[in-house]
This record gives sequence, C-alpha cells and structure tokens, in this order.
Amino acid sequence: MGAHITGIPGASGVAVGPVWHYGAGGTTDAPRKPRAVGDPGAAVQAAALEAAGQLEALAGRVRDLGRPDEAGIFEAQAMMATDPELLDEALARVKAGEEPVSAVRRAADAASAVLAALPDELLAARAADVRDVGARIARILLGEKMDLPDAPSIAVADDLPPSVAAEIPPGFLLGVALEGGSITAHAVILSRGLGIPAIVGARGLTAAAASATSAAVDGGTGEIVLDPGPDEVAEFAARAAGLEESRRAAAALRGRPGATADGERVALLANIGSPDDAPRALDAGAEGVGLFRTEFLFMRRQTAPAEAEQVAAYSAAFKAFGPDRPVVVRLADIGGDKAIPYLDLPAEANPFLGVRAIRLAAHGSRELLVTQLRAIWRAAGRAGVTPHVMAPMVTILDDARLLLELRDEARADVAATGDPLPAGMVTGVMVEVPAAAILAPELARIVDFFSIGTNDLTQYTMAADRGNPALGHLQDALQPAVLRLIRSVVAGADEAHIPVAVCGELAGDPAGALVLVGLGVDELSADAGSLDGIRAALAGVTRAELDDLARRALAAGDAETVRAMARELLERSGPALVE
Amino acid sequence: MQVAELDVRNPSGLHARPAAQFVKTAAAFRSKVSIENLTRGSKPANAKSLLAVLACGVEKGHRILVSAEGEDEVAAIEAVRKLADSGFGEALVG
Repeated sequence: MGAHITGIPGASGVAVGPVWHYGAGGTTDAPRKPRAVGDPGAAVQAAALEAAGQLEALAGRVRDLGRPDEAGIFEAQAMMATDPELLDEALARVKAGEEPVSAVRRAADAASAVLAALPDELLAARAADVRDVGARIARILLGEKMDLPDAPSIAVADDLPPSVAAEIPPGFLLGVALEGGSITAHAVILSRGLGIPAIVGARGLTAAAASATSAAVDGGTGEIVLDPGPDEVAEFAARAAGLEESRRAAAALRGRPGATADGERVALLANIGSPDDAPRALDAGAEGVGLFRTEFLFMRRQTAPAEAEQVAAYSAAFKAFGPDRPVVVRLADIGGDKAIPYLDLPAEANPFLGVRAIRLAAHGSRELLVTQLRAIWRAAGRAGVTPHVMAPMVTILDDARLLLELRDEARADVAATGDPLPAGMVTGVMVEVPAAAILAPELARIVDFFSIGTNDLTQYTMAADRGNPALGHLQDALQPAVLRLIRSVVAGADEAHIPVAVCGELAGDPAGALVLVGLGVDELSADAGSLDGIRAALAGVTRAELDDLARRALAAGDAETVRAMARELLERSGPALVE
Repeated sequence: MQVAELDVRNPSGLHARPAAQFVKTAAAFRSKVSIENLTRGSKPANAKSLLAVLACGVEKGHRILVSAEGEDEVAAIEAVRKLADSGFGEALVG
C-alpha cells in the first residue's frame, strides 16, 4: 500500500501514472559537462541570446493559444534574458574568474533580490521570473534540456510555473499534485482546461514523494497515493471508469430542471462573462444566468463604454435567454487591481479592500454606475424581459440603499426619453463581505435577493488572499466558519422571504452544491460545464439527507471533514444517477 | 545632456508592459539614457535595462527624471516624453 496524502481538490478527475518530479533539484545527476566553448564570456552571451529566443517563441505559442497575459510574462522574461545590467553583472563575475553557470545564477539571484525587496507585491512575481530566466540560461550553458516529462505523467511539485507548464507537450500531463498553490493557481486553471485532475496545498507532498515513481490522484477528493499497490491502482481505475459513467449519466439528465430526488426545485443557472457565452450555457441546460459578469465591457480600453454599447451587450444576452430565463447582471466589479485608465483611481496597497464596485459611486464614478443601470433598463425594455441586477462589494445598509437610489435615478433618466421600460427591476446584492453577511436580516428587508460570492466571502472571512499559494487550506469555502455565515445569510433571507443564490466556485462542485442546498440555498450558478454534475448530484438526494448533511457540516471541525461527509453522501446516492 | 521630469499617471506605474515599453523606447537610441525615481529618491539607473527600471519601483503618481546623453539625446528625450504622455502605452493595450 502506498503513502496517502490529502490536499485541496483543484480540478476534478482521476489519474494513475508515473510521477514526474518537477524542480526536485537533481542531486543524483551524473557530473555535468559544460559546453566546450573557448571564451566563457562569449558563451554566456550566446546562451542569453538563445534563452531570449526560446522565450520569445514560447510567448508566440501561448499568444496563438489565446493566452495573451501569459505571453506578456514570457515577453518580459525574454527582455530580462538579454538585460544589459544582468549580462554586465554576469560577465564581470566571469572576468573575475567565476565559473559561467554560477556567474549567471548569482547575477540573476542578485537582480531578483532587489525586486523582491521592493514594497510592491506585483514585483515579487517578477523576482521569481528573473530567477527562472537565470535557470534557463544556466541550463543552456550546461547543454541541458529543460526538465520536462518524457512520458505521460502526473506532475508532483511544490509549484508548476507557467513557463514550464506551457512547454509540456499535449497529452504528457495526466494530473497535477502540488504541495503549494491555491485553487486559483495557474496550474489549476490549466488543468481544468485540459480536463485533468489537479490537487493543491498537499502539505508534506514533495518530501514524501521524493523517491516515488508512480502515483494515483483523485482531483475530486484531493487524495494522492504515492507508489500505489495493485489494489489501489485498480480502485482508482474503477473510480475513473465510474466518473466517466456518471458523466454520461449526468449528461442524460440535461434538459430537466434542477431538483432533489423528492422534487424540491433548485434553480441551476450559468455564470457568463459576455453574451457570447450564452449558447454554451443554453446547451448545458442553464435555467438562466445567475451571474453575468460585465467587466469585459470596462477593461482594456481608454474611455468608459458608452451607454449604447452596453445596451447592445445586455440586450443580446437578454434576448438569448428570453423572458423565462432570468439573467442577473452584476454591476461592474472593478477597482484598483486592474488598470482602468478612465477611472483615475489612486494607487492602493490593497485593491481588494479598497475603492471598488459599488464603492466607486462615492469616489467620482457615480455616473459610471448610473450609465450602466440606464443601459440595463433600456436593454430590458427592448428585449421585453424583467431585468435582474446585483451590486458587488455591498458592505453596509447604505450601500444597498444607494443601489436602489441609483437604479431609480437611471429609470427616471430613461423614462424622460420616452423609451420602453419594463415594470420593475429585480434588485439584489452580492453577499461577499462578512459585514453584509452579518447584516443579512436587515439587508434582506431592503433588496429582492441575495447572491453569495463564496470565493470572496471566503477570502474576506478567512483573511486569506485568494492568490496566495501558501494559504490554500484557508481558501476552502467549505471551512465551517464560512458555512456558518452562509447559514445565517439564508436565515436572514428566509425571514424576509427573499431567495438566496450562490455564484462562487463552490456552487459548481457537486459536493459543495449538496452542502449549499442543505444550508437552504435556493439557486446555484456555476460555469456551464459544471451544471451536469450538480444537477445529477441533487437528483440523487432527498431534502432530509441534505438537512442532515448541513447539520453535520455546521458542527464539523474543518473543511476536509465537511468535504468527506458530502462526498460520502454523493457516493451513497450515486447509483441513482445511472439509470 | 537633455533631461525631462515626468509624472507617471498610468495605473500600474512602470511595471510589466509599461516598463517594457519604456525600456524599448530608451534602447532605440544611441545615447546613454537613465532614469531616477524622484518620489522614492532612487539613484540614476540604466533606462535600457528592464531589471534596472523595475528596481526603481515607479508607481502611479511618482515623478521620474529621465536624462539622455549622446548624439541623439534630443530625440531620445522627446520620444520618452511622448511615451509618458500616452500613459506608457498602457491605455492602448490595457
């Protein structure tokens, strides 16, 4: 029997295969033979040029794959590889008699240390990029190939940097198991796109796996088995087959509305990021849209989007879903974390705790929000639907009151032009700030619905940055503290008879969906690709089973226990899916 | 020698793409070009080095001093000034 380690589920799927250790050091390597070149200084310069060429080619490849942000990282790394300061430092060291590989590494480390010491967090990431560049030049000097799997493998590492992940040939990555990383890590997003399992935050993994040659991983449970025995291999293979079978069974339920086995309705909605996502959501059987992100209209431009442009985008979405499938438009969730030239926001040390979303109204951008609301009114009038809208980042009661005020102001503006108007606008708030969750009973009397954003609610409740790989276990929305907050939000909403939706990652995870519906959530909104799984999960359980699960989850000591409870219920009810 | 004092107004300062744009612009001239972050009080740094420019830690709202010395120093400063006026290319590419 192999060693068992449990991490945080990042991407679902099951894989068994050889282990590929990334970044393990290579202390067992045979003596390395540096490239035979006469002038060590010239060798360093040639290697730097070659590294820059590789990085530029990499940038081109990922740009062609439609990943421009990643391409930007590699372009900057290409510039670093031939940076005059870096080369001067490396060449000075060579001239002083230092061995070229060490000279390059130490020059890169020195540049990295300077960046890491700056107060700006964004530059810390650049510090890692410089070290990565130094390692690439050193490899070229040594005549080494990049450390890549030579057969389809499960990557086991502390972290898998984008520059390495992008070089792995298609089909050579069966799964990813990381000691560090969070569910928002680059490798997790990559895994979901590839449809392979990913596990993050597996503490103790790299040490335990040092001599492992094979592994079995289950991205749905977070289980990692190192050097699995024949029985374990068989078990994971059976899980993989079962997963495939339930995927097929779940797809067969498409077209049925979401409901528990005993007929309690749970609306299953899609999250979309532009009207272009509508066909995929409708194909997946979405009963509407629980989260229409509108940031695409506001990013990457020099001036704010005109009202007419917004009307076109919203009415395209409203028309695609029609009057029977409500589309909840989220007001722009923008702030200092992204460059928005026309907002002229001051630099903030903590943009996620800063002036963003509804808070912009009090900081010079009231008109931006009123314009967006006018566009939503007009688009709904044009499409003949009842508009649904929600504001992110609502914290105090006055934020909700402000939302209603802006909504009414926008309506009056549109009415004055004589354009067709729907009778009303269903107006809700995101519950993602703990203060809003605590004030739920009072907020519920002001607004028409709640939508819980579990990603941010978790980040703010647990005081754990979503992007910080060291805090993966605190970013789990199944943490009992977060579940208790969700429970109290539902209680507040019930008193006022308003519905509660969840539109975070947790809603798209079958185990998470069971816990949420158990806690009394009425609607789940997730990526279209997750709807089959949660529809099937709900169809297999009864209200009584969900009540029991919720009761035990609220009393649990940690997120792992809650996940195990929910998965146990899923497995118990599984056969119901395959009929 | 030609100098220019410039205000950095683009949201992400001289990080990432804006820094790369700045370096590419400076590197296109034969003159020696250097940059100082007046707000942070940094030492003059090689404006043709991305690493040196990043190390200046220029954020939005900072004031920088750019100097050029050489045969095309006038054109170099002119080009940098133009780039700063355009938000170091950030507004154009997001």
